[in-house]
Amino acid sequence: MATHAEIAIAPHRFAYGFYRQTWWNWLIGTAFFCGGLGAGLFLVSLATGEPVGMIAGWLLVTVGKNTAHLFYLGRPERFWRAAMRPDRSWIARGIWATGFFAVAGFLCFAPHIFGPAWQLSGAAAAAVQGIAALSALFIMFYDGFVMNSSGAIPFWNSALLPLLVLLYASLGGTTLSLLLRAVTGGGQEHMAWLGLQEKWLLAGNALLLAAYLYRMSRWQPAARETVRLLLRGRFAWAFLGLVLAIGLGATLLLTFAAERFRSEALLPVIAACELTGDFTLLIVWLKSGLFSPQTAPHPLSASSKQESA
Amino acid sequence: MARLGMVIDLKRCVGCNSCTLSCKQENGTPAGMHYARVVTREVGTYPQTRRTFLPLLCNHCEDAPCEKACPTGATYIRADGIVMVAKEKCIGCRACAVSCPYMNRHFIEEGFLQQGYAAGELSPFEAMKFGAFEEGTMSKCTLCAHRVDEGLEPACVTTCPTDARIFGDWDDPDGKLQTLVRERNGWALLPECKTKPKVFYLDA
Repeated sequence: MATHAEIAIAPHRFAYGFYRQTWWNWLIGTAFFCGGLGAGLFLVSLATGEPVGMIAGWLLVTVGKNTAHLFYLGRPERFWRAAMRPDRSWIARGIWATGFFAVAGFLCFAPHIFGPAWQLSGAAAAAVQGIAALSALFIMFYDGFVMNSSGAIPFWNSALLPLLVLLYASLGGTTLSLLLRAVTGGGQEHMAWLGLQEKWLLAGNALLLAAYLYRMSRWQPAARETVRLLLRGRFAWAFLGLVLAIGLGATLLLTFAAERFRSEALLPVIAACELTGDFTLLIVWLKSGLFSPQTAPHPLSASSKQESA
Repeated sequence: MARLGMVIDLKRCVGCNSCTLSCKQENGTPAGMHYARVVTREVGTYPQTRRTFLPLLCNHCEDAPCEKACPTGATYIRADGIVMVAKEKCIGCRACAVSCPYMNRHFIEEGFLQQGYAAGELSPFEAMKFGAFEEGTMSKCTLCAHRVDEGLEPACVTTCPTDARIFGDWDDPDGKLQTLVRERNGWALLPECKTKPKVFYLDA
């Protein structure tokens, strides 16, 4: 019986081995990135009453995420059909959440752009803010469910994935919110709190990544092979270098340095490091996904059943 | 109602890829797209080595993950159990392809239907057959539903020179499929995915 170590990545579909996931590419990664980052930024900005962040987050979701999705689709003119089955498909649920977010999110910051005429009354404003916050939260984590509902790719098939994308979206939103405050000079009273949140999220993401990889290194052979690709294989430079070293390590060090020296000049560098790690994580998670081998019985093995089971 | 499916006898399969070719001829799939294929694997250590062959096609799962993942309802299961794609509803999101553990979904890229096997223009055969496809949508094995509806067997079954493919109805307790699987302890691919496939294999 072939062991995991003997199975290679198949060069084509007529060969035996693990098969690389090539369907969802960088456009899907970009859509996930813009969606998580924008929704995270919107939520942080809504909580701290920062209209610039709300507008930027709303634009990232409604323009960035949706544009990337439309560019990816084979028949973008039929995109509305993707909302047809929210009872079964996470993609459909995501479309509904994005729609709610587009409307409710816009109403949240509209008074800041178009004047007090757009200001809703107390109860209506609270309801709109609630819908916007809930839909933003949904957009932050539903990508994880879209991926983990695919049982075909064992590396994605983990309950930790929605939590991982949620934490990364929160981290990205916090980072971008800090940067926007430094650039615009608004909402300075929340800087210390957001800085603390940034550090906790960086530590939480590092722990969650470690737990994820540990779990996957004990999961099905295709998941174990993906872990090997991430730590020692073709994606090691991206994962170890960009996601861990720059995205988490350098970001954490620079965050401490910015606090220690009270330097807002470091915030653009912090944001660049964190967002690089955030984006790279989504891309390598998509690209390193592997399908399990189509198991044939081994004629020289006593029990072919063991291999297929 | 019937639950159509197939049993593939690996003892009989010689890896000739006749099924691959007959499928392409019957369905006129574009270059590089194979509804049926045979995975070849070398096993053993020298001097005791040999090649094994595993013919693959859509498993037409009862609990089809592609049907669950499809956000538009373009993927559906017919009353006789054949999993189909309504191309006019497909948006090309490829969620079905990502969710199929057997990798039997095929995306028709833009410009794909302008490329024939020969360089330059499409042959009359390709021009006729490619009309059944639509760029930007998914396509898959239909278990030759158009033939089945006329009372015929799928092309891969008819063509197989060693009769390795046996087509039938899983709902028939005394039929060929259930009898063979019962007598020879048949098995399905990737049982851990719990998709309830309707294609079973018999040991070589």
